[in-house]
Amino acid sequence: MKNIYFIDDDPVFIYLTRRMMSSSRTGFDAKEFTDGELAIDHLRKISDQPDLLPDIIFLDLSMPVMDGWEFLEEYSQLRCSLSKNISLFIVSSSISPEEVERSKTYAAVTDFLIKPLRAGKIEELLAAK
Amino acid sequence: MIPVRANNRPDNRSSLQDADCKPFLAVADHIAGIPGAFIAPAGTDPGNSFCFPLELSPHCYGQLCIPAGLPDGLRPDQRKALEELASGIARMFAAKKQFATHNGNQAALTAEAQDKLDRQREFYENILNKLPTDIAVFDANHRYLFVNPGAISNEEYRKFIIGKDDYEYVAYRNRDISIADSRRAKFLEAREAGKEIRWEETMIDPSGNQLTHLRRMFPVYDENGEFSMVIGFGMEISDRKALEEKQARLVRQLSTQNTQLIDFCNIVSHNLRAPLVNISMLVDILGTSDDLDEHKLLTSKLRPVLDNLHSTFNELVESIQIRQNPEIRSEKLSVQEGLQRTTESLQTEIHRLEAEIEADFASAPVINFPPQYLRSILLNLISNALKYHCPGRPPRIRVTTRREKDKIVLAVADNGLGVDLVKHRDSFFKIGKVFHRHPDAKGFGLFMTKTQVEAMGGRIWVESEPQIGTTFYIEFINQQNCLP
Repeated sequence: MKNIYFIDDDPVFIYLTRRMMSSSRTGFDAKEFTDGELAIDHLRKISDQPDLLPDIIFLDLSMPVMDGWEFLEEYSQLRCSLSKNISLFIVSSSISPEEVERSKTYAAVTDFLIKPLRAGKIEELLAAK
Repeated sequence: MIPVRANNRPDNRSSLQDADCKPFLAVADHIAGIPGAFIAPAGTDPGNSFCFPLELSPHCYGQLCIPAGLPDGLRPDQRKALEELASGIARMFAAKKQFATHNGNQAALTAEAQDKLDRQREFYENILNKLPTDIAVFDANHRYLFVNPGAISNEEYRKFIIGKDDYEYVAYRNRDISIADSRRAKFLEAREAGKEIRWEETMIDPSGNQLTHLRRMFPVYDENGEFSMVIGFGMEISDRKALEEKQARLVRQLSTQNTQLIDFCNIVSHNLRAPLVNISMLVDILGTSDDLDEHKLLTSKLRPVLDNLHSTFNELVESIQIRQNPEIRSEKLSVQEGLQRTTESLQTEIHRLEAEIEADFASAPVINFPPQYLRSILLNLISNALKYHCPGRPPRIRVTTRREKDKIVLAVADNGLGVDLVKHRDSFFKIGKVFHRHPDAKGFGLFMTKTQVEAMGGRIWVESEPQIGTTFYIEFINQQNCLP
C-alpha cells in the first residue's frame, strides 16, 4: 500500500489521475491538499510518524496561497527532520524549460513530470518503491 | 676653402672691419689649438703671421692669421685644420650677413610676404567661418581670441567679443550671468582635466524649438608645456538627439513588449494548457470506459473545465486588446463619480459586510483616463478589498488621490487580510495568482488592472502587511490638463 499526497488545486486533474491509478496493480491511499500551505502544515504535524508520511508527493506549481515553489522552499527545510525518504514529483501543466531547470536546484525534487500523467508512467512510479 | 687674392680683388668689395672679426677670434683661438690666432681685415699686414684668406661674402672678405712665432712653424695637419677653419668661419659669417641683409630689406620683402600671409589667413579663416560648427578659441585667461560665425553669427557681436570674456559679453548682450558662470566652469574643467572634455547642452531657441549641442573643449599647450589656450567646438546635434531619444523609446517599448510576450507565453502555458490537459485526460478515459454511469460522471466534469478554459481565454483576449489599443481615448473623469458607480454595483456586498468607504479627492478630483479602464480598476480594487477582508472586522476602505507634478496617484487602502510581500512581491500582479482561499479568487483582477494601467504608461504598486491591510497605488501619467 502506497501513501500518496496530491498537492494540487485542480480537483478534476486529481480525480482523473486517481481514476487512472485505481486500475494499477499497486494499492494506494491518497490525500489531497489544495495548496502548499495546507500540505506543509500537515507534514510538520506528522514529521515523526513514518506510517503517516507519504511515499510519493505529486506537487503542482501554480496554486493559491502557497505555490509549488514556495512549498519547495519550506519542504527543503523540513525534509531532514522527516522520518521517511519521500519521492517528490513536480506535476505541472507548464512546459517552460526555465521551470524544469529551476526544479533541478532542489535536491528534494525527484523528477519534473508534465501533465497529463500517462497510465504507464503512473504504474511505473507506483511500482518503483 | 675659397682662395682670395689680395691683389686682384674688385674695388666694390669691402674688407672686414675689426669689430666684425671679434666674435670669431675666440673660436679660432680654441678650435685650431693655436694660441693667439686672429682674424684680420683683408689688405692689412698682421705682421709676423701666417694668414689664410677668408671670403665671407662676395662683397666681404678678410684673413685668418696665426702668429708666426710658433716654435716649429705649422705642421701640415695644423695648416689643413686652419684652412678648414677659415672656410667654416667664412660660411658662418656669410650666413650672418645674409640674415642682416634680409632684416635690412624687410620693408621691401614685407609687401610680398604679407600678401602671401594674408591670402593664407583668408584661406584658413574662410574654412573656419564656413564650417557648420561653432568654433571659439580662448587665451589662458578665458578671453576670446577667435570666434567663427557658427558661434556668433552677428558680425558686430563677433568683433566685440575678441579680447573679452563671457562676463563682459553677457553684460553687453543683456543675458543672464549664469550663462557666463557655466561657460567659465567648463573652461576651468578643461584646464583642470588637461585633455578634451565633452558635454551636451540643450536649450530652447527663440521660436521654441529644443536645440541640443555637443560641445567639446580642449586645452592647448605651447612648446614649453605651458597652458596657452583652449579651443572649443560646438556642433548642433538636435536631429541626432531626437533620433537617439526615439531609439531609446523604441528599445524601452520593445523590451516591455518582450517581457509581456514572455509573460504571455507563460500564461498560455500555465493557464490554457491546464484545462486542455484535463480535457484530453477525460476524453482518454471516456474512450476506455464502457460504464454508462461513469460516462455521465466524466461528461459532467467536462463542464467546469470548459468554463475555466473559456474564461481564461476571454481574459487573455481582453488583455491583448488592451495592449494593442494604445489609441484608446482618454477622457476627463470625476473620480468621485467613478467611485459612486462602483459602490452602487457592490451595494449588496458592502451592506452584508458593513463596509465603510471613505474618499478624499480634494487635491485631484479629475483624472484623464479611458472611462472603461478607470471603472474596471476601481471595481477590481474595491471588490478585492471587500473579498479579502479580515473575518470579524468590517472592511474600512479609504480611496484617495494626490497630485505629483503632472501625475496623479490613486490609492486604495483597506484593513483586510494583507499579503506577505516578502514572499509574493514578484508574483503579485501575475495572472492566475491567488493569495487567499476564496471561492471567487481567480487571479485575473490584478493582472487586468496592471495591464490597463501599463497600457496607458502608468504604474501600479502595492504595500501590504498580513492581518493589517493592503494599499494599492496607481500612477496616472500626463495629467497636466487636469490641473485644478
